[in-house]
Amino acid sequence: MSVNQANASVHDKTDIQLSVRNLCVDYITSNGDVRAVSNVSFDIGRGEVFGLAGESGCGKSTVAFSVCRLHKPPAFISGGEIIFNGRDILKFDDEQLREYRWKESAMVFQSAMNSLNPVLTLEEQFCDVLLAHTNMTRQECIKRAGQLLEVVDIHPSRLSDYPHQFSGGMRQRLVIAIALALNAKLIIMDEPTTALDVVVQREILQKIYQLKEEFGFSILFITHDISLMVEFCDRIGIMYAGELAEVAPAKNILTKPNHPYTEGLGNAFPPLHGEKKRLVGIPGTPLNLFEVPVGCRFQARCPYVKDICRKEYCKLTEVAPGEFSACHLHKDGIVDIIALEKQPVQG
Amino acid sequence: MGFILRRLVFYFGAFLVAVVINFFLPRMMPGDPVDAMLAQGARFTAEQIANLRLTFGVDQPLYQQFFTYLGDVFTLELGHSTFFSNMPVSEVLANAFGWTLFLTGTATILAFMFGATLGIVAAWYRGGKFDSIASPLSLVLQATPQLVFGIVVLFSLGVTWDLIPISYAYDPELTPDFTSWEFLKNVLLHAVGPIFCIFIVQLGGFLVPMRNNMINLLNEDYITMGKAKGLSNIRVMLNYGARNAILPSVTALSMALGFVVGGALVVEVIFNYQGLGSVLFNAIVNRDYQLIQGQLLIMTVFMLAFNFLADVLYVFLDPRLRKGGK
Repeated sequence: MSVNQANASVHDKTDIQLSVRNLCVDYITSNGDVRAVSNVSFDIGRGEVFGLAGESGCGKSTVAFSVCRLHKPPAFISGGEIIFNGRDILKFDDEQLREYRWKESAMVFQSAMNSLNPVLTLEEQFCDVLLAHTNMTRQECIKRAGQLLEVVDIHPSRLSDYPHQFSGGMRQRLVIAIALALNAKLIIMDEPTTALDVVVQREILQKIYQLKEEFGFSILFITHDISLMVEFCDRIGIMYAGELAEVAPAKNILTKPNHPYTEGLGNAFPPLHGEKKRLVGIPGTPLNLFEVPVGCRFQARCPYVKDICRKEYCKLTEVAPGEFSACHLHKDGIVDIIALEKQPVQG
Repeated sequence: MGFILRRLVFYFGAFLVAVVINFFLPRMMPGDPVDAMLAQGARFTAEQIANLRLTFGVDQPLYQQFFTYLGDVFTLELGHSTFFSNMPVSEVLANAFGWTLFLTGTATILAFMFGATLGIVAAWYRGGKFDSIASPLSLVLQATPQLVFGIVVLFSLGVTWDLIPISYAYDPELTPDFTSWEFLKNVLLHAVGPIFCIFIVQLGGFLVPMRNNMINLLNEDYITMGKAKGLSNIRVMLNYGARNAILPSVTALSMALGFVVGGALVVEVIFNYQGLGSVLFNAIVNRDYQLIQGQLLIMTVFMLAFNFLADVLYVFLDPRLRKGGK
């Protein structure tokens, strides 16, 4: 295994917060085990925003949950390492895991509406996490909770309220405030704005960005909204059928895609500026993970498919400094997708 | 406050309906108190029969009896029993009330406590050994009639092994004295059998719904978030899971407590326990209209009172309902 193949990272060793190595997650089904996440490797640097994008069911949330070991049966991690600050969290016992959760890596869930306990006051939901991880007294916890509310622009007097008394956007800010409670070094955000309208989305994202600048945590950002991601992330990993298809700096991912799938995703989004273009979808349907083909997983939908794609599996490989691709065409530098794009595409 | 007031109005309406039914139901059975006496071999002359009917008021037209009854209900005059040697109904009921409350109340609360706890554990370790044994077993127990448990317990523990007394609430030779430990011990010993029979049948009724609620809730995001927060398992299980899953069970408990004064008729009769169940049984057999009415009336009042309590508790337990009344 070559060095650059394993490390989809541009960071030097000391600067890495989270390092996922060859992560494999399987789901047990009645038709046999399905590998939902297959050999995924990436690094997240300190203070970096790393995005994972891909269509529904590609395994991006499974990766996110695995990083906190929150995956539920029938899912299980069948291989790989998740190194956080030099320690493999997959080797943690229950108590170590309990301490690691939220203190080291907190999580903001997709559905703000449902991620707060409806029968406990906010005060209780702030205090339980503070009491579980620190030696603070209850009074100190309440004070800290009040400060956290102020950070997300909610008045501390509302600590005694219940979740149903807040709007959707406010609830998402509350969850973010809880996520900040222990100064976690990594915050995993699993589609944090999907359930919100675009105005509130922007508001929340700006808040998150501002907090990130202030507190310096890293973010693992999951979404299927690639345009949002390009704006928000430093680097982006594109997942397809449980594998990383491409990892590249956010600014390059749409302009200079290194994988036909990324290119397809880019074509499926309308540009904000410039002439009107006909949007082009990616033909075909996502891969059925029961029928993984020999060779590249994207072969059936790829417009540039070659013989080698049907025969030989292509690992994620560095194709340019800081840019990684799992495509034969790019690895060997045979084609330039931008050049290919000039050819007429069937609509 | 509007919420509670509206509930109260509703309960008053329900009470009126129940009062009417309580009057007509016993009278729809064939025969009257005098017939019942004759059927049990009493010998009366025609004149005596007419006098008895006059005394019991059953010679009057039904509508007239009904209005007398309505007046009595609202003046809390329950009349006299025809079967228990003309004792006031209120006295007959009062004597039995405490015993039943003790017997069925204890059994119901125990069943709730054990059922809910075991349901929580079964749901948390869903599909595990405990769940695969306890959950189906409790359904089997629930489906078994009290009669079966009554007779099995009576014969095995009571007769064959002679571990528990088989009759009465306490030894008849003892003078009731609730300050003496001897007497209380005797009462407890007599209650073991009946309480166990009522408990075991009710257990599944609390365990299975609790387990199912909890399993549904365990997929909620706030449970995952509770785990993600690094809280201890017990805290997530109780404060995040059970605290939400218990809401429907509170209604079930309240309903069950409302049924408490109905007595466990079958169990009380089997163990010859002097509770309201035995009283009702005797009253029905002897067409003791006043007593049936009185018993049904307290059952109604209890049922409604505990339903109301459930409403109030619900508002207390579920913050989402607190603003809902406006």
